[in-house]
Amino acid sequence: MSSFLKIAIRNLLKGPSTDPYPFGETFVPKGLRGKVKYNAKACVACRMCEHVCAGGAIQIREVADKSGLEFILWHNTCAFCGLCEHYCPTKAIRLTEDYHTAHRQEDKYRYVEKGFIKYVNCARCATPMVPIALELLNVAYDQVNEDIEKLRHLCPKCRQERAL
Amino acid sequence: MSTYTIPVGPLHVALEEPMYFRVQVEGETVVGLDITAGFVHRGMESLALQRNIYQNITLTERLCSLCSNNHPFTYCMALEKIAGIKVPERGEYLRVIADEIKRIASNLFNTGILAHIIGFDSLFMHVMEIREIVQDTKETIYGNRMDLAANTIGGVKYNLSNEKIKYMIKQMDSLKKPLEEIVDIYMNNKLVRARTEGVGILPKEEAIRYGVVGPVARGSGVNNDVRVKSPYAAYDKIKVNVNVETGCDVRARAIVRLRDIQEAINIIQQCLKKLPDGPTCIDYLPEIPAGEAVAKSEAPRGELIYYLRTNGSDMPERLKWRVPTYMNWEALNVMMPGNKVSDIPLIITSIDPCISCTER
Repeated sequence: MSSFLKIAIRNLLKGPSTDPYPFGETFVPKGLRGKVKYNAKACVACRMCEHVCAGGAIQIREVADKSGLEFILWHNTCAFCGLCEHYCPTKAIRLTEDYHTAHRQEDKYRYVEKGFIKYVNCARCATPMVPIALELLNVAYDQVNEDIEKLRHLCPKCRQERAL
Repeated sequence: MSTYTIPVGPLHVALEEPMYFRVQVEGETVVGLDITAGFVHRGMESLALQRNIYQNITLTERLCSLCSNNHPFTYCMALEKIAGIKVPERGEYLRVIADEIKRIASNLFNTGILAHIIGFDSLFMHVMEIREIVQDTKETIYGNRMDLAANTIGGVKYNLSNEKIKYMIKQMDSLKKPLEEIVDIYMNNKLVRARTEGVGILPKEEAIRYGVVGPVARGSGVNNDVRVKSPYAAYDKIKVNVNVETGCDVRARAIVRLRDIQEAINIIQQCLKKLPDGPTCIDYLPEIPAGEAVAKSEAPRGELIYYLRTNGSDMPERLKWRVPTYMNWEALNVMMPGNKVSDIPLIITSIDPCISCTER
């Protein structure tokens, strides 16, 4: 018994080991998997995040007036597993260190992360298309030169014609 | 002396999960036992068939909180077997590190609960505080205290920078001394010995007959550690010392778990030292052909087996797992009779039952 008594006294002298949260700071390491942040500018609408999302928290849908795509993520359905971030080719979606998810009951269905990808028109035939993010070009090419930069503003069909 | 039946559970103060025992007693002594399970069935095998291979990584991780890394790990291994994917070497080592760190946290939790059940609550608090070192490590390296989300198809999702390796070495070193102290208490403290020694005996031949796995088997002198008997991931490249005790009682099983923690620290340090450079994961999206595979790993509670059948689509055709507790809880029929009523929760805890895994 005496062996434990020593430990107990030592623990007593150390004082409480709990954090005073929510009245004070608490341990939040860098890299904590918290609420998702979405960057519409880097998104290429490949829908891989929607495909891998275990809870079905992510939806990418065309808006009613067909002017672009809307990205919605329900924070309440998200499991913070980080698969979307792992499989996102341009890292348009990432998990932040923000773990605060308390909100009012009436905001339950509005507690979402939203983004809008506006279609751009093809520089040659004016067909609406999802803009090609610079981040995707950086993944695909070592160096983005002027020729590739021009291709970026063409729809897949025009791109094919130009390339041939 | 009169014989009567007492109910223990389904909700019992000493157990974390619901399970119902009908115990026949003669006076204060247990003579028979009836186990009824099925209170937390969530239909997860069926859910897995309605989700694609990626979504199932996250689903299997949520089977159980304490061995949450082993489920996606073993599931991914089965998938990789079917598709013939070769995991990069660094990925294999990182998988082992994730697995061992979960083993430390799981075993500390169980040994802590043991102290709580025998009424030694100050020891319970102390063990849980030591466990906080591991919890902080997990939160810093993986971003969550329980669900590491380390595994993915063809590797791992996390990487260790030099800074993080240093941090991990520091954390592991800071665990060693307090761990030695508590191992000494569990082995030599008079109060702990009085409650655990000679309680819940599972003789070696019965352990073999019931096919028990993990620390329950190793506490009865049976060595069937999957990490050594059929190595997976990077376990064939590192030295694993298996701890076997011959006490066959609650005390032996607790000591095996504590020694396993010390061995896990040793394994993590070996891995960090040998950690090769290179990619952590395959850099393409895998194509899964039709086929079937079995994969197994050593979870904190013992051998975990996954069976997976695919049909060429990205939804599995069948996913089934056999968890260690399924093998271990039958052995309670041997451990219980002859013991006192007050030892019932203690003996149940000594098999470290994971009901959420078993009933899924």
